[in-house]
Amino acid sequence: MIQEPYLYFLEFLQSVQLPNGGFPYHSGEEARPDATAWAIISMSAWEFARENCDRGRAYLVSQQTNDGRISISPTHIEASWPTPLAIFAWESVPQYQEAQSRAIDYLIGFTGQHFSNPDPSIIGHDTSIPGWPWIAETHSWVVPTALALMALHKVGLGTHPRAIAGQQMLLNRQLPGGGWNYGSTTVFNRELRPLPECTAIALQSLAGNTAFHKIERSLQYVSHELPRLRTPISLGWALLGLGAWGLKPANTEELARVSLQMQERYGPYPLPSLALLLCAVKASHGLHSLFRSLPQETPVSSTRN
Amino acid sequence: MTTPPTHTEQPTLSRRQLLQACLVGGGIALSGFSLLHWWTGSRLTAQTFIGQAETYNTDLAKLIRQGFQELGITPSEIKGKRILLKPNLVEPHQSLSHINTHPLVVRGAVEAFLSLGAASVVVAEGPGHRHDTLLVLEESGLADVLYEDHIPFQDLNTMGGIVMPNLGGQTTLATLTFPRIVKEVDWVVSLAKMKTHHWAGATLSMKNFFGVMPGNYYGWPKNVLHQAGIPQSILDINATLKPHFAIVDGIIGMEGDGPIMGTPVQSGVLVMGRNLPAVDATCCRIMGINPDKIEYLQKADQWLGPIHESLIEQRGESWRTVHRPFALIPEIPAHRGIRLT
Repeated sequence: MIQEPYLYFLEFLQSVQLPNGGFPYHSGEEARPDATAWAIISMSAWEFARENCDRGRAYLVSQQTNDGRISISPTHIEASWPTPLAIFAWESVPQYQEAQSRAIDYLIGFTGQHFSNPDPSIIGHDTSIPGWPWIAETHSWVVPTALALMALHKVGLGTHPRAIAGQQMLLNRQLPGGGWNYGSTTVFNRELRPLPECTAIALQSLAGNTAFHKIERSLQYVSHELPRLRTPISLGWALLGLGAWGLKPANTEELARVSLQMQERYGPYPLPSLALLLCAVKASHGLHSLFRSLPQETPVSSTRN
Repeated sequence: MTTPPTHTEQPTLSRRQLLQACLVGGGIALSGFSLLHWWTGSRLTAQTFIGQAETYNTDLAKLIRQGFQELGITPSEIKGKRILLKPNLVEPHQSLSHINTHPLVVRGAVEAFLSLGAASVVVAEGPGHRHDTLLVLEESGLADVLYEDHIPFQDLNTMGGIVMPNLGGQTTLATLTFPRIVKEVDWVVSLAKMKTHHWAGATLSMKNFFGVMPGNYYGWPKNVLHQAGIPQSILDINATLKPHFAIVDGIIGMEGDGPIMGTPVQSGVLVMGRNLPAVDATCCRIMGINPDKIEYLQKADQWLGPIHESLIEQRGESWRTVHRPFALIPEIPAHRGIRLT
């Protein structure tokens, strides 16, 4: 039985689903793939509104292009960063395995612009390691790479060369003092500052495939930041990132309730933010633990090249 | 957008310049920019206002209203208008207020526009480096001001977009996608921060509009624009968006390794004006930077506005009385050779 206030917010998610099966970013707006995927992931995790989830998955299929990508809008197919989110939303549901498989193929074949770094004293990171970009034909950055890496791991492709390279790319972008920002380490020999939201996503994506000592300082950074995080994106990812490393805080529900109450001050959260926070409450050991309990999980073949 | 010309010269057009003028002429004609003036030999002029404020505890709304008055902005011009204020919140961190437009400048601008009869004022930003915009508002201190004053805020990074033809033609981008709200307001106002910039030399009111472009379509940190070229993208965005006004927060600015890692510097000024290149050129002079050496300003000159001192009518303080050279870093290529001498 789902307790309040989570039931209230799950019912809210359910209530804003649109006739085409998609979910909007804000109530009253048109459907968006990222919002739809997050709503499905969250409601599925709570085993809530199964029929609504299925309609949402069908909407995501309707947004998939021939090459397998799911973009933020049909007019901006170069913005394909929601693709890993759709892979999660289709996870463990046999009728969407083909759509998921095509999205995985797209991710494996898609990368950013990479080049030899002409002067490491200007840009400190290794610009040649392939990751994933937000937008096609631009450089790779931390968040889209972390999301893609999580998706590949989820479907059993954690040893694929693209996953290995993505892992290396993230470790290369880790700040010397710990943590990640959007994806730059030093510029003109000056170390940049970490950001909790980016650090937590990177930590989530590296859990289970990276030695603890390599990310220990970043875990310390997020743990240190956690008490002041109240916004659903940063708090949600921090809870997931820590949880993925077996460090889910004992006061998770208290933190989540404070965040949910902040809507009285700021107004209703965007759907993806709300859904992310609900996922973080439910997940015992990070994002991947949300899928383990689902029935009919059938990992995609790991023989892709 | 400009005041009547005060100087007249007869420019000579080369075939190439004429062709370029024809290629972008449609956009220029639509925007009311300088083709006619250029063709007839007139030169663009503008007015800027410099107001002194030693601290953020100054009555900033009063100072901004004074600027409006000096610049000829009357209640009849603002009455009933929907105003969008775009502060610079590229990457806030707690206790590092010199990175961002100060919340009290935002409050002052809101009060000033409302006092002149604006129908509505909305604050909107798409932070360049961070996708948790609510945390950006909290860490910048702006969240408290917005909440206390009941000021609406819009996250431009996640807003649906409208595709517009690129009227600047400086990048290879055929179109630009703006957040739909820019078509739902009457005035777009750059509420920028006075900072050095390690790629562009200086970031002021024109560069501030990188933050208008939605991260959903441009990525974080606005990857598409960096790829297309920073000076070129600044020009394209401004030529297409056609902003109406600028207020630059130089009460405490940033020198050295801006726009994030530099150090605070007190200039004690707000710089305002209808013409953004003129405002930015004036800011540069205050910062001890030669605007002719800033690529996007040099290219904007006599296209999007004037940057030469003789063509900018100064109201309020003279830039010379508030001149406070910002530290530049010789190792940064964009800082070399830009010092005003």
